[in-house]
Amino acid sequence: MGYLLKTNWWKWICVLLLFYTMIGGLLFPVPRLPILNETIRVLHFHVPMWFGMIFLFMGSMIYAIRYLKTEDKLFEIYSYRLASTGIAMGVLGVISGMIWAHFTWGQPWVNDPKLNGSAISLLIYLAYFVLRNSLNDEEQQTRIAAVYNVFAFFLMVPLVFIIPRLSDSLHPGNGGNPGFNSYDLDSNLRKVFYFAVMGWALLGYWIATISTRLSLVKKRWEDA
Amino acid sequence: MDWRLQNPITGILLYLAATVFTTYMAFQGFVSLEVWNALFWIILLFTGINAVSKSFIQEERRVHYFFFTCDPLHILSAKLIYSCLYLHGVTFLSIFIFSILFGNPISNYPLFMLNAFSGVLGISSAFTMVSAIAFRAGSRSVMMAVLGFPVVIPVLVLSINNSYRILDGFIWLQIRGNVFALLSVDVIIIVLTYILFPFTWKN
Repeated sequence: MGYLLKTNWWKWICVLLLFYTMIGGLLFPVPRLPILNETIRVLHFHVPMWFGMIFLFMGSMIYAIRYLKTEDKLFEIYSYRLASTGIAMGVLGVISGMIWAHFTWGQPWVNDPKLNGSAISLLIYLAYFVLRNSLNDEEQQTRIAAVYNVFAFFLMVPLVFIIPRLSDSLHPGNGGNPGFNSYDLDSNLRKVFYFAVMGWALLGYWIATISTRLSLVKKRWEDA
Repeated sequence: MDWRLQNPITGILLYLAATVFTTYMAFQGFVSLEVWNALFWIILLFTGINAVSKSFIQEERRVHYFFFTCDPLHILSAKLIYSCLYLHGVTFLSIFIFSILFGNPISNYPLFMLNAFSGVLGISSAFTMVSAIAFRAGSRSVMMAVLGFPVVIPVLVLSINNSYRILDGFIWLQIRGNVFALLSVDVIIIVLTYILFPFTWKN
């Protein structure tokens, strides 16, 4: 992260990818399917949010481990900021999914293992913020929060990836429902989707670096 | 070391009996299979959080003593074994009370017990870890609920589903995958607890 804070070539890549996603995702031909129709385009905006969230949480977990090993405050700030940006992306993912579900399933929320799992994993991370911000003794609190962060990440994985696959689910790609491949008859979606994932993940990371910088400046301000 | 505290144990037993009896009166003696299952796990969950959350919080004074004399991993093992045995006792007892008051729908005992025990293993170890975390945080009992409930939900979802299927007459081959998933979540929780606990322990 130290290196990527100093350079900005990846920001240009991010901008290009997102431009391509916006134009391609909204204008390229998509497979015509009953019920789904044009709403299939949400694939380029809803799914990458979750990918981005997972990347950010994974980064947050890695920095939490590095913090526990080295006791370097810098890593703790990285970890915290990555997690908070991850939550923001997760919330956007829920909202975009709800809008999509409103048009295809008829209601914004159905009792579905994938949906409930992702909502609960957001709750787990919100609990992380409650813990992180209930500071008594700062040194100890950040360490405890880092411990919980690692714990939370590994419990999120079964919630989002394993449990929905064991039971029936309406969500595409789970429990007997067709996944990406069977929708994607002419591979038109793929042309945009992979770039969309990279673009949104980079954007999330970019936002995380900005908020990291902000809190570093604040910290220096307080120390001075 | 926890056996010395007789008071909380009787307290928990009373708590268990009182909750089961309240639900019995609320449901007027008639419950379907689904409701039986849901009540069973909910009561187990709440008794569990009450029983295990005390494990670190109650020993504030003794913790300093342990801190200098024991290896954190030994303390953790002791706590894990204790809370696990404790909750298994609670499970037995609640099955007993349930079968008196609500009737007993369990037909496949070995499978039901296997599932109940792996679920309880997950619940007790997750709560032990969370209680160690909450011990270091301010406003502990609130923290315990905030941190604990989301964390046990994967275990709960899996075990509630399994136990409903078992009550419904599924056999081992049909739910084997789910039981293994539950056990692997348990293993994940316990391994993480062992890795992370020393960090919550040192000052």
